Amino acid sequence: MAPAGAQALTPSHYLSLSDVSRLQNLLSQPFTDLQSAYYSVVGLSKLGGIVPDHQEVCQFLKSQLDPSSVDSLFFAAETSQAISGCEIPVSNETRDILLAAVSEDSSMTQIHRAVGALSSLGLPLASQEVVGALAARINKEDNVMAIILALQTASRLSQQAELGRILEEIEDLTARLDDLGGIYLQFEEGLEATALFVAAAYALSDHVDVEPPLKEKSWDSLAEAFSVASAAAALSNNRFHVPVIVSAQGPATVSHNQPTLQLLVTDVMSQPLTSASVLVESAFAVATKSAILSQTPFTLNDGVFELNFMSSQPASGYYQFTVAVTGDSRLVASHVELKVKVSTEVSVSNMDLSVVDKDQSIGTKTTRVDYPSKAKSPFTADSHQNFAMSFQLVDVNTGQELTPHQTFVRLHNQKTGQEVVFVAEPDSKNLYKFELDAAERKSEFDSMSGTYSLYLIVGDATLENPILWNVADVVLKFVEEEAPAAVQPKTLYVPKPEIQHLFREPEKKPPTVVSNTFTALVLSPFLLLLILWFKLGANISSFSFSPSTILFHVGHAAMLGLMYVYWTHLNMFQTLKYLAIIGGVTFLAGNRMLAQKAVKRRSHV
Amino acid sequence: MSNSVLSVISRFLEEYSTTTSTKLKVVDAYLLYILLTGALQFLYCLLVGTFPFNSFLSGFISCVGSFILAVCLRIQINPQNKGDFLSISPERAFADFLFANTVLHLVVMNFIG
Repeated sequence: MAPAGAQALTPSHYLSLSDVSRLQNLLSQPFTDLQSAYYSVVGLSKLGGIVPDHQEVCQFLKSQLDPSSVDSLFFAAETSQAISGCEIPVSNETRDILLAAVSEDSSMTQIHRAVGALSSLGLPLASQEVVGALAARINKEDNVMAIILALQTASRLSQQAELGRILEEIEDLTARLDDLGGIYLQFEEGLEATALFVAAAYALSDHVDVEPPLKEKSWDSLAEAFSVASAAAALSNNRFHVPVIVSAQGPATVSHNQPTLQLLVTDVMSQPLTSASVLVESAFAVATKSAILSQTPFTLNDGVFELNFMSSQPASGYYQFTVAVTGDSRLVASHVELKVKVSTEVSVSNMDLSVVDKDQSIGTKTTRVDYPSKAKSPFTADSHQNFAMSFQLVDVNTGQELTPHQTFVRLHNQKTGQEVVFVAEPDSKNLYKFELDAAERKSEFDSMSGTYSLYLIVGDATLENPILWNVADVVLKFVEEEAPAAVQPKTLYVPKPEIQHLFREPEKKPPTVVSNTFTALVLSPFLLLLILWFKLGANISSFSFSPSTILFHVGHAAMLGLMYVYWTHLNMFQTLKYLAIIGGVTFLAGNRMLAQKAVKRRSHV
Repeated sequence: MSNSVLSVISRFLEEYSTTTSTKLKVVDAYLLYILLTGALQFLYCLLVGTFPFNSFLSGFISCVGSFILAVCLRIQINPQNKGDFLSISPERAFADFLFANTVLHLVVMNFIG
């Protein structure tokens, strides 16, 4: 709701009248048990709505009441307070049950409900004892909801009790609000918690007459509607802070027909603050930054604040208003920035059309056309000539020249439906000129000769009367007319010809025979090796069958096998994993084996 | 000229076969095998072409690497070089040879594609 900046506090969300009625509808649904009865009735009354059928509600409460349950007593008692003329019967046992619930050992919810029931039923309660129980529970249950319930409970107690400890909790809780994007402040527990916190904090503060340390507040099922309603009511009716909403009635536009700017100044429940006085602190034009107004008051007219802005004769455009609302010391966020648009009407004057020869040898024939009529005869231009147009755009009310955002010249071929749009540019004296060089622009026309209707289009956000004016007909003659294949509306959205994708050709492989031959050839030296070794007499006669030897050879063979499997199946990571295991085993066994060999060798020598 | 070359070669071979121990001759046979394998791979590449290039590279580098490691092994287990390798016993040399070969072949297998 309020941005987290200390300066310009502006509530950007509030309960509009439609929101209030929507909440009222939600809370008016028929209820089936005590809890929903409580939410509906009490919520509705906080919104200022009327609870229908008090008698029926009272009957319902009495029938549903369970005198041995603290919760049931709480809901019934609170609801009966909200509607007039309903008395819940109380017995001594009821009172005892409720008083017993107020102790350190009950949960915070229990204490809150017991105290609420006791005070709504008009039964006496020992405030100091309650404060003691609350303080003890706050220490034990340090969550947000528990503290909020403590705040609400404390606001029911007598003002003599020592509530300072509880008041401190308000400040602690404010610190716990999460800052959502610098725009919203909210508890992470959600909307209901935040709304309840606001309601509870203000209720307690009103009760104890101490201003709550809240600078910014924040907020945006049945229980939620109730919480939002009580929060909004608290914000509108408490004694300390009342946020102000300033909004324009209808669009914030001023013109000669509608010279007054109307503002609605309301609180968060859309109730108008008629006692306030509204003042324009300053207003300046956005484009030129020159100030137009300063310290001008609005007049109150039938609940709406009005200001006749046109009397200051502003030029058309956008203006930034800073509005201040004063009158009640409780008002918060009372400086508002508004953007106001001043619009006007335009007229075209001095529209001159001419066909100029390029070499300037023949004098120009200028024809003046008045809006909204059309030139009587068509103009002809071929490749030796230029077609020229000049005009002025004038503000009807002030007589000043305007430069709107959109000034286009549209040429529309009547036969083929082609249209070409150009922009008309103003020169330094705000005189608009447009020149069409037939030869230069022939590509845009696709060299289609023929009769074109010329339209002038003028538009702007600040204009109330945009212009579409068929000024004249122009016959254009182009050279090198290509035999047009009828009209080709730009075939942008037609399926394009299919692209044949050429996949990468696999490289040419040598014939299999060659590969096989060379494979055999490359493997042949191995045969040679075996033969040589055999000839040399290399043998495995000194193979000792010790476990480490066998393990080593098995491990080594496994590593070689792993290499093959790596080539065919695995990736590096898996291989490294297996290699680590097998290699470790092989290493240890091999170490052992080689050590034994070394010993044997030394003993031989 | 050729006479002296031939006589040098025959003299060399004779001395080789008499003075080198069997262990070293075994390693030498291995070296010859590796050499021939590498040479044949290179010949294939020259004749037929380098497709697939990564396979050729991995095979060739395997040969070259194995050759180098075997040469190291031969140097280290030669009893005549004992003075240069006091801290490295033949068994240690062999263990190093095996480890280095494992690493080499891991990379070769990765690259063979």
